[in-house]
Amino acid sequence: MSELKPIFNALCRSKVGAILLLLQIAITTAIVSNSAFIISEKIAYLEQDTGYPEQDIFTFEVMSFGENIDYMRQAELDETAIRQMPGVIDAVTVNSVPLSGGGSSSSFRLVPAGQKGKGVQASIFEADSHFINTFGIKILEGRNFTEAEVSVVEEYSQYPSVGLITKAMADELFPDGDALGKTLYHGDLPMQIIGITDVMKGPWLQSERRDRSAILPFVFAQKLTLFSVRTEPEQRAQVMQQIEQYMLNLENKRVIEGLKGLDDVKADYVAPDRLTMRMLLVMIVVLTLITALGIFGLTLFNISKRTKQIGTRRALGARKSDIIRYFVIENAMISMLGLIVGSGAAVMMAQQLMKHYSLSQMPLFYVLFTAVGVLLISLLAVVGPAKRAANISPSIATRTI
Amino acid sequence: MFLHYIDLSWRSFKRTPLVSLLMVLAIAIGIGVTMTSLSIHHMMSKDPIPQKSAVLHHLQLQTMDEGQSYFSKDDLPFQVTYQDAMNIQNANLPYLRSAMYKSGFSVHLNSPEQKPFVEEVRLSSRDIFAMFDLKFIYGGTWTQQQQDDIAPVAVISKSINDKLFKGENSIGKSFYLDDIRVQVVGVIEDWITPVKYYDTNNGSFDDPEKIFIPLSLGITNEVHTWGNTNGWKNEQDDTFKDLLVSENLWLQFWVQLNNEQEKQEFGQYIMSYMKQQQSLGRFNREELDYNLFNVTEFMDYRGVVKHDNKIMVTLSFMFLAVCIANILSLLLAKFLRRAPEIGVRRALGASKRQVFYQHLVEVSLLGLFGGVLGIVFAQIGLWGVRVSHGAYDALANMDVTMLMAAPVIAITACIVAGLYPAWVVCRTTPAIYLKSQ
Amino acid sequence: MLTMNNINKIYQTDMVQTHALRDFNLQVDEGEFIAVTGPSGSGKTTFLNIAGMLEPFTAGQYILDGVDVGGLNDNQRADLRNQKIGFIFQGFNLIPDLNLFENIEVPLRYRGIKAAERKRRVEQRLEQVGLASRAKHLPQQLSGGQQQRVAIARALAGEPRFLLADEPTGNLDSLMARQVMELLEQINREGATIVMVTHDPELARRAPRNIQVVDGQLADFTLYQGNPAKVVGV
Repeated sequence: MSELKPIFNALCRSKVGAILLLLQIAITTAIVSNSAFIISEKIAYLEQDTGYPEQDIFTFEVMSFGENIDYMRQAELDETAIRQMPGVIDAVTVNSVPLSGGGSSSSFRLVPAGQKGKGVQASIFEADSHFINTFGIKILEGRNFTEAEVSVVEEYSQYPSVGLITKAMADELFPDGDALGKTLYHGDLPMQIIGITDVMKGPWLQSERRDRSAILPFVFAQKLTLFSVRTEPEQRAQVMQQIEQYMLNLENKRVIEGLKGLDDVKADYVAPDRLTMRMLLVMIVVLTLITALGIFGLTLFNISKRTKQIGTRRALGARKSDIIRYFVIENAMISMLGLIVGSGAAVMMAQQLMKHYSLSQMPLFYVLFTAVGVLLISLLAVVGPAKRAANISPSIATRTI
Repeated sequence: MFLHYIDLSWRSFKRTPLVSLLMVLAIAIGIGVTMTSLSIHHMMSKDPIPQKSAVLHHLQLQTMDEGQSYFSKDDLPFQVTYQDAMNIQNANLPYLRSAMYKSGFSVHLNSPEQKPFVEEVRLSSRDIFAMFDLKFIYGGTWTQQQQDDIAPVAVISKSINDKLFKGENSIGKSFYLDDIRVQVVGVIEDWITPVKYYDTNNGSFDDPEKIFIPLSLGITNEVHTWGNTNGWKNEQDDTFKDLLVSENLWLQFWVQLNNEQEKQEFGQYIMSYMKQQQSLGRFNREELDYNLFNVTEFMDYRGVVKHDNKIMVTLSFMFLAVCIANILSLLLAKFLRRAPEIGVRRALGASKRQVFYQHLVEVSLLGLFGGVLGIVFAQIGLWGVRVSHGAYDALANMDVTMLMAAPVIAITACIVAGLYPAWVVCRTTPAIYLKSQ
Repeated sequence: MLTMNNINKIYQTDMVQTHALRDFNLQVDEGEFIAVTGPSGSGKTTFLNIAGMLEPFTAGQYILDGVDVGGLNDNQRADLRNQKIGFIFQGFNLIPDLNLFENIEVPLRYRGIKAAERKRRVEQRLEQVGLASRAKHLPQQLSGGQQQRVAIARALAGEPRFLLADEPTGNLDSLMARQVMELLEQINREGATIVMVTHDPELARRAPRNIQVVDGQLADFTLYQGNPAKVVGV
């Protein structure tokens, strides 16, 4: 430890190189820790459990244009036909596809509109009783709809008065866990809770409402219909390949569009976030390389500036290991200072990001983790040049030029 | 002298190729990263229609009752009701204007040769083409008469014309939107804009529509919007007819106001319109309020540039700062090693200023190389962005401004990095280095 | 103290082979003060480097204070340098980032001496060279003569028995040179063996024993006993 003081004193007397290195390490720490935090947030977001067997589900839309199509009959016909296809487990028409970014939502309250009472925003899925099976959702309490409860209509009348809700939504509205059988209101319409489902994400993944969904036994037959189909594992590609022709064979006055696996639906929806994550990842890697390069270069610069001094030290009895230790300690000192400054900057940057860009609070261990990483890289980068310095011949000391 | 300095710089590169290459690489990587995020930011935020952005105005009306709130920052709804849209559209006003909304149809020729396909369609007034500078290849917009008579007419863009009619002059020919048979009255160039500024409700970076029909035609055929419908009032809205008289908000409204006076007059008209509607029992509130933003104001209001992107730009400039610090240290090493040579030059009569200048020329040249290589890196980065995210196809590109900006930023960065080393070198007293030779 | 038997040193570059020392033989006894002279390029510096173990030699035998240097590894040589040899360089070679105190402390640190003892010794040496009041100064704040006195203090700090001086007065004016020389003579009287490389005949004459290196060989050596007339040429 007694070596630290003179190294530190020497550092204070030749500042520029040290300050540059310090600055670089500080900025790197600030950027990397914040980026790492954003990346981990994005990864958590991208990898969140949706509650669906995404690999086995696909979806498509059917756009009819025939003048005399009975949409109600056609919807039933199509569903039944698809369910009979080999490899298909179940199929359903639904008002919106989960994870797609498009759907409908409403406020569900404990009391009818106009009265004061607790309420939450939730996504609404409208489908028949096959919804649960098609999306592979588990019912934790209560039951699925019966066929009789499903209203298939062409006008918005006869809106159903029963529904299933997710556990997250039930817990929020009924903290005592007695949601089953209670009645909720969206607008003036009552909805009795007949079942509570396990995790199933709604059409939007960002907001709180992603975990709150209500499923209502309602099929609104119209010219644009969304279908979701679950197949046996490994059979999806084959079914997807046949589906367009199959549908057109049933009725050809229509267009089959947007044929996509549920995993791709999700991938498209989260594409901007994935992009940000990738860009940040590339940035971190390149930045770390550049910083390592910079440390390497600066140490080489320091060494070439001090060739004579190193020779003199060797002549005065320094072992090679003493020289290596000198540079490593010097570097560690600068790095430490840089890390302290950088950690401060990182926290400040995180606060700014939080203030301006609605990010959540960065846990401090990101800074700590980054600091340790940067220190390691910094030390790795200095070992090479330090070894080179140790190999400087002591006879340099007697050379006059 | 300048050319001589360039010559000296070039020799200096050749003398230490590795260090020079490292410096060029460092600046190029910095520029590559910075330009990638900056280009996207630039494309997102740049004025999509510079010749008209100041005169095109987007109308928002505060139709909601006192105490109702909306998810905009000033509580004003983004869209307007059908009643208001039609009242203002049909008022006796001299301004080009259009209520509009987006829907979609199966497009086909009712023949087996052309496979039907789904296409988004914009329903608007005939003024939309003049307002948004859409160029006609064949024909023109539908007439006021056709609009009033609810004639089944359409304007299609070039790519639809290529698909349906093999690019021929298709004026007078017919095609189907679902089961509506419409006649082509005009063919326009494809509407290309990096930002879909005129309707940001369902994705600011979606592609513009390629088929346009009169709004009146859509209403008569009960064509529902494919965009957002926001309701705040508890009212009957089961049928399309209910929708038309409801307070549901689902149309966009744009008006062209060529100068401040027109803007004021239109504003006065809107105020008096709202007062008149109040007497009919609508606009139940103390303060009447409306927004009339031009294109750039509106893009800012709607927050077209994503937060993520702003973060990326900030981070990439910090990244560039690290690259600059790197180059600074490498330059310091390189220049100081050359101090004896500079000692000789100074002894031979070079002034401090000349030595300083010589080194700045050298770092600028470095910046130029780095900038050019940086453009290559940025292109790779942008390619990665386009592969990663389909919607960024039009955005992840460098326009001329950005291509020019890259070397400018690179050279500036290098000069910033080079100032201190150049100053250190030019300050060296000639004697010190001559003695030790 | 120092015995060199048939030392050879060959510098090998891509094109040329330079025989810097050939069959070099020298015996230095405890307490001697030897001046080494010779024309430029004769091998003086090479001799000094090998004597100080700054460079390995190609062939021959070198015994320093009973230790056969040829068989030592790098660390052992470093330790031996540190304990037995004090260096005084022509260019002083003070470390510019360290102040006088810290400069003198350098060899003591490498020997692992405790802080209190280091302080005592450094202060004693600073006293000896008359720079005690300047302990906190940086080298560039001193004149050339003062710097060389610091360098001598540093060489002496480890109490070496063998002092190697390379043109110790080369960068100094004659007054300062004389002061430095007097300091060396005093050190020699206190018991240290000194080998001094110089090209200044006046300085050389003050040393009790002179040797001359020509073309990598010990051409001649003469013992001066205060009689400059007896200089023998090649």
